[in-house]
Amino acid sequence: MSQYNGYGLDELMVVEASRHISDWDIVLIGTGMPVVAGMMALKNHAPNMCFVVETGPMAPEVIPTPSSVADARVMYRSVKNGSLIDSLGGVLQRGMADIGFIGGAQIDQFANVNSTVIGDYNAPRVRFPGSGGANDMASHAKKVLIIARHELRRFPSNCDFITSPGYIDGPEGRKNAGLPVPYPDILVFTDLAVMAIDKATGRLRVAKLMPGVSLDQVRENTGFEPVVTGAPAAVEPPSDHELRILREQVDPTGVYLKAPE
Amino acid sequence: MTAAEAVGSLVTDGATLGIGGQTLGRVTMSLAHEIIRQGIKDLTLVGCSMSMSMDMLVGAGLVRRTECGTGNLERIGTTMRWRRAIEEGRLEVEDYSHLGMASRFLAGSLGLPFMPSKSMLGTDILNKKNPHGRKAYELIDNPWEPGDPVVLVPALNPDVSIIHTQKADRMGNVVIEGFTTHEVEMAKASNAVIVSCEELIDTDDVRSDPDRTAIPYIYVDAVVVQPWGAYPTSTYRYYVQDEDHLRRYQSAARAGGAEYDEYLRRAVYDHATFDGFLEREVGSARLDELRATMQTLL
Repeated sequence: MSQYNGYGLDELMVVEASRHISDWDIVLIGTGMPVVAGMMALKNHAPNMCFVVETGPMAPEVIPTPSSVADARVMYRSVKNGSLIDSLGGVLQRGMADIGFIGGAQIDQFANVNSTVIGDYNAPRVRFPGSGGANDMASHAKKVLIIARHELRRFPSNCDFITSPGYIDGPEGRKNAGLPVPYPDILVFTDLAVMAIDKATGRLRVAKLMPGVSLDQVRENTGFEPVVTGAPAAVEPPSDHELRILREQVDPTGVYLKAPE
Repeated sequence: MTAAEAVGSLVTDGATLGIGGQTLGRVTMSLAHEIIRQGIKDLTLVGCSMSMSMDMLVGAGLVRRTECGTGNLERIGTTMRWRRAIEEGRLEVEDYSHLGMASRFLAGSLGLPFMPSKSMLGTDILNKKNPHGRKAYELIDNPWEPGDPVVLVPALNPDVSIIHTQKADRMGNVVIEGFTTHEVEMAKASNAVIVSCEELIDTDDVRSDPDRTAIPYIYVDAVVVQPWGAYPTSTYRYYVQDEDHLRRYQSAARAGGAEYDEYLRRAVYDHATFDGFLEREVGSARLDELRATMQTLL
């Protein structure tokens, strides 16, 4: 028996997301879980990825575990500590970013993300922090990764407010809006499933299920009917090696993730 | 110059105030404390990622409006006094993406009326109907590529900006170590700039290594030497953030009312200076720990 047999779905959510980052990718990393999954890729299989933080640091080696995008740990041995204009303008808007990696309070059927308000913008019931760099990442990256826990309230059919663009309202939504990347891959990683944009409909499709999770469980926790084509594959469980990297080199003190007892 | 002199002479009621720092790094705490002590009101706060200093100015009832990308303490949560003020309809807000805000400062820093952007297209950041003030953006057709929509965001030239940094000299030359977020563009766009710094350096040092100057003196009106001036947030190479204090602040900000007033009293109103707060509410033992932890991360 391996000491790493047991794992949590939060851990696998991070590991699975990290598998979609390749070596040499230029990746804009948002605050929170994207920092952990980005580090997982950097430490595990993408040592040459260019980790870029919106505050300005470029290609840091990143030491565990940053609690903020202003943390010294995301500036560790960087090649340049630039500015927002450098990272969001010179890298993202310039078209250099392979991946933008964000979280969000609400994600809808078109993979639009809301991190601004619940209710009316001018008289909101709940106010969230706002876009930050998330809108810029979703607008300009060639591929967008989104990570969030799978709860019904987080996956409404339509966001109350679109902060960061998915496919907006259908397959041609981004093209019609004039966004520079009209048809990006968008993947959503949760503790229940991996969903990916179906480019024919512009809607989220269940691509994979977490081990032991049923399609019905995903439907029960999703406020829209996701596209399903055939039987979704299971997410590959984390290898011992992946869990060791995650627990020893990415988040050894449990800042973001707790290993199961 | 002291913080009291700098703030007293440069920040006025009704000012548009640029806020430096980002989330939990180099946040303009000591200068915000001084603005609160002096009760300078009806402020419009502008910045990118505004956090605890903005939240305290809002919590002290001194802010009329914010224009920013986020109000955010990251893992500690949303800036709660700001959030409640918006939810209760007591604060005007205008949202942009961070690149949108940084582009507004960039336009201001170049003496241009606006900056084009390809961010925010297709989203409610543009669709929102804001009843307050002038139009927040314009959409044009790219003159060289018809059919290609481009967002124009208006230049932003703050009346005065506040920034906390590592080093500055008596002339006002500013060295920023680590990320610079939107601060260089914002400083150049501002009609006045107050910089608080951890250390005063000699102008000879600046002249012997001028490539390190992030903001030259011509933009800077006051330099206040204030070690720990970003506490409880971090200053790269000097100290890490004090998570315990940040969580205590957030707890008071979440509660509001008397609990929040008590935080403001103990942090700000009971002291004539920021040093008073550090000595009586934080203590040198805690500060030494924060400095030692930063040394392990460099």
